[in-house]
Amino acid sequence: MTCDRIEDLLTAYADGELRPEERVAVERHIRACPACAGLLDSLRAADSALARFPEVEPPAALREKLYAIPALRKFRFGLDVLLRPALQPVLAAAAVMLTLFTFYFFSPAKGEINKAVSRQFHQGYSRIEKLYAKAGSLTDSLGGFADNVLVSLKKVNPLGKSDE
Amino acid sequence: MLVDLYSKKIFNMSYQFAGSFQEAEDLTQDIFVKLHHTLTKYDFGKNFTAWFLTLAKNHLIDEYRRTKWEKKQRDDFDEHVRTAAADDDPEHGLAEEENRKMLWAGLNVLANDMRMAIILKEIQGKTYEEVAEILGVPVGTVKSRINRGRLQLAKILRNRKERTHDL
Repeated sequence: MTCDRIEDLLTAYADGELRPEERVAVERHIRACPACAGLLDSLRAADSALARFPEVEPPAALREKLYAIPALRKFRFGLDVLLRPALQPVLAAAAVMLTLFTFYFFSPAKGEINKAVSRQFHQGYSRIEKLYAKAGSLTDSLGGFADNVLVSLKKVNPLGKSDE
Repeated sequence: MLVDLYSKKIFNMSYQFAGSFQEAEDLTQDIFVKLHHTLTKYDFGKNFTAWFLTLAKNHLIDEYRRTKWEKKQRDDFDEHVRTAAADDDPEHGLAEEENRKMLWAGLNVLANDMRMAIILKEIQGKTYEEVAEILGVPVGTVKSRINRGRLQLAKILRNRKERTHDL
């Protein structure tokens, strides 16, 4: 057997998985070949060292971060809901309202604002009343006009004959 | 809780694969964030550990491909590992520690899929079947990768011994 062939069989030999005739052939080669014998020793040493490879403890700070992940997700979920595009006009309107209210409540001229608002309110109210009155008189005059039209229509004889 | 059960396993897997303690912290955190995102997709009929380790393996290999760790140096066989080794078996001599040191550096020479198979089977002590399930490849492929990886690591140790003899 060549060294290349022995290399192919070496891990199976170390694991005791070779057929008896192959095992004998490998052992015969190893006795005569220091390079392959050295490789077998190294393979066994590597297997042993890997099997005894120590586990390291993760840092405590990392564990804390890992514990915080579900809470972090919930917080992000809450923010995601608030920051949905559909809610942006509502949030913008709320921000404008909040600004106006803040301006009103903390303004030194709060009394004047109140008076101005009250004056505007009353002016608006009186305008609405006037408009309402005008609308009422318009309705009356339209009603009178409609009556006149009806009376005129009754007097008109489409066949040209007169009842009289 | 999942953190108690799996943080050490995932951290060690990341550390052994990436070779950097700082990198392993970031990777472990990323893997747990990914777990929380994909937990709803877990099929309760499947083995959870294998499913989670597959997720971790996929993330590690994706990051490996993206950042090409093989071009970077691994951490020295640093205090974290040495301290743990001493705690595990104080009777083990300097030669064993030297072998571990060489193998630690040697892991970087292995291809990513071979390195992952070696870590799962030889270091973490999984069976061939478990490794095959995690890697999503046939058992024969796993055996072949592991045998080639072991032989490659053995050659690294042999070459070091030969160099020591020459000196």
